[in-house]
Amino acid sequence: MTLSTLQGVSHTCFGLSYLLALVLELARLRWPGKTLRTAALAAATVGLLTHSAFLLIHHPSPATPYGSLLLLAWVLAIFCLYGAVHHARQAWGIFVLPLVVGLVGLSLALISTGGANDAAIPAWLVGEKFWGAVHGLLLLAAAVGLSVAFLASAMYLVQARRLRTKANPLDLKMLSLERLEAMNRRAVNLAFPLLTAGVLLGMLMLNREPLATLLTPSLKVLGSYGLILVVAMLVYMRYAAHVSGRRLAVWSLLAFALLVGVLMAAHPFAEAPK
Amino acid sequence: MNLRIAGCNFRSAPVDLREKLAFTPELQAKAAAELAARYGCEAAILSTCNRVELFLARPLAPAPVSTELAAEFLAEVHGLPVERIVPHLYSHTDADAVKHLLRVAASLDSLIVGEGQIAGQVKATYEAARTLGTAGPFLNALFPHALRAAKRVRTETGIAHGHVSVSSVAVDYVRQVFDHFDDKTVLVIGAGKMGRLTLKHLQELKPKRILVTNRSPEKAREVAAGCGGTAVPWEQFDDALAEADIALSTTGAGEPIVTAERFAKRVLPKRRAGRTLVVLDIAVPRDFDPTIHDGDRVCLFNIDDLTRIREQTIAARQSHLRPAEAIVAAETKAFLDDWERRRNGPVILQLRSEVDKVRDEVLTPLLAKLNGKLSDAEKDQIAGAFRLFQNKLLHGPIAALQDASKDGDRGSLVDALRKLFRLG
Repeated sequence: MTLSTLQGVSHTCFGLSYLLALVLELARLRWPGKTLRTAALAAATVGLLTHSAFLLIHHPSPATPYGSLLLLAWVLAIFCLYGAVHHARQAWGIFVLPLVVGLVGLSLALISTGGANDAAIPAWLVGEKFWGAVHGLLLLAAAVGLSVAFLASAMYLVQARRLRTKANPLDLKMLSLERLEAMNRRAVNLAFPLLTAGVLLGMLMLNREPLATLLTPSLKVLGSYGLILVVAMLVYMRYAAHVSGRRLAVWSLLAFALLVGVLMAAHPFAEAPK
Repeated sequence: MNLRIAGCNFRSAPVDLREKLAFTPELQAKAAAELAARYGCEAAILSTCNRVELFLARPLAPAPVSTELAAEFLAEVHGLPVERIVPHLYSHTDADAVKHLLRVAASLDSLIVGEGQIAGQVKATYEAARTLGTAGPFLNALFPHALRAAKRVRTETGIAHGHVSVSSVAVDYVRQVFDHFDDKTVLVIGAGKMGRLTLKHLQELKPKRILVTNRSPEKAREVAAGCGGTAVPWEQFDDALAEADIALSTTGAGEPIVTAERFAKRVLPKRRAGRTLVVLDIAVPRDFDPTIHDGDRVCLFNIDDLTRIREQTIAARQSHLRPAEAIVAAETKAFLDDWERRRNGPVILQLRSEVDKVRDEVLTPLLAKLNGKLSDAEKDQIAGAFRLFQNKLLHGPIAALQDASKDGDRGSLVDALRKLFRLG
């Protein structure tokens, strides 16, 4: 495959591949079997490969809402494939793939709003300078952690509901409540320090900007503060208040919703497109 | 192929007759050897709680062992009047018999369709016959084929999907809540028979510890000794329940032991926050108030829940019967085709050997007569020409035999070949 062929790779290629994988995963619920599983796995792999090629060729900036959503979707697609291989018997793809498809869809929607415009971001923030890159990486890793916590929580709530209604355990094979709760705990424990460090670093860098920017904090900055509060609340509820797994899961969903909002908001250093 | 399968199962015979016709492993070995010697056949005996079947194959004889002889043999071995057995006996021959064995091994003919034990029992039957030497070329081909077909049915359809015993379903639920068990405590309440079976399944999960409590301290100690657990006095029931991750209740109490109020006041406050308790209440009447179930901190499953899932699983398996039967039909045909091809082997070998003999009878005196007049190379050329002539001559009959086997019309052609070439 030549580079010129790869340049033809668009959102449609990987977006549709993920969507196809999701449809096949849903079909597996009705007709379980190796064929559909293999087809779903193949579609997701094609999606990930084309997605990787796209990122490699277009290297969208993680500092833009568009780029951050695409990168997050890419990491989650890897997570999806990892789970599909390691938890082959469990319903995994039907939870992870909608999130991947959703993030790709959101990034596509942002193109029309100009969120994909790399030129609007100062050079030092897009990774050309060390601290900008560290800030971006910390927040991306935290976003991955919160996304995993979201997935674990969504699965937890579905599993808990199935247990509450005493559904047939074999209708939908899922990880145990204990496993999902542990996954959520690890993801939040990882995301909290990363998020805090990333935001603190951003605040320090913010001081280099004119006073006017500081006095009118952007939605992204305010959202990030809110996100830290929610994640801190999650940690408190788990280790100090010992609330039930279901309530923790609901708070994790809230944290993820806030994360998506933060990712979609314009960066405080973004300049109006020229 | 002259295969006869004669026997009875849960559909054709009442349980008291099946009990009388059952074979112990020792009797099974003795009887199979006796069958093989008496009727000059390959023999194997399948004996389970739901069926007793004799497999008798005489591939080289003109006819299979008759059903009457099989019935007489069963009557003789078990000391029963033959007329008591005959009305309950079914019998299959040749292709029907092959299909029957494949259906049995694939668990399509079982009381609970898709159950996993029967394939193992068929395998044990074959192993026993092979060890005894009562399995010959036919059974050595048939049984492995049946086991392969059974595996295909199990893996390619959903016929074996899910669990159909209440205790296995209970463990499925436990696995939905917990991931690992090496830090879990199981509390066994009571000593009912069903509870012991479920406890056996729970033991396989290797929990950290097992506590056993019972109104009777002796019974508690007895159950605890049987499962490597610790007996807990009945007076400490609430504390034990507060410590437990899984409670298995199977008492014979006439009314609930754990009411919602008792649970809320005496158990819940003592439990570490955030822990989930799974209650498997398989007692009738129920031991736990079902309202304590919330699907998060307390997951309670009683006998009705477990039985409902069991029935759903059995019903779901019925929907896989058609594809399973299709696999059995295809595998039956594959076996029959394969066997026909294999069966031609001895006839072709005999034909070639007879013609080789004739060729030698003609060629040897000819070469002796020409001795001294021919070089070794010329002798080889003449021998080669004879062989070529022979091969060309036999090609037609052999090809016709293979074709007839494919069409299932082999018998008359084999007879014709035997007569035409005077094969023994």
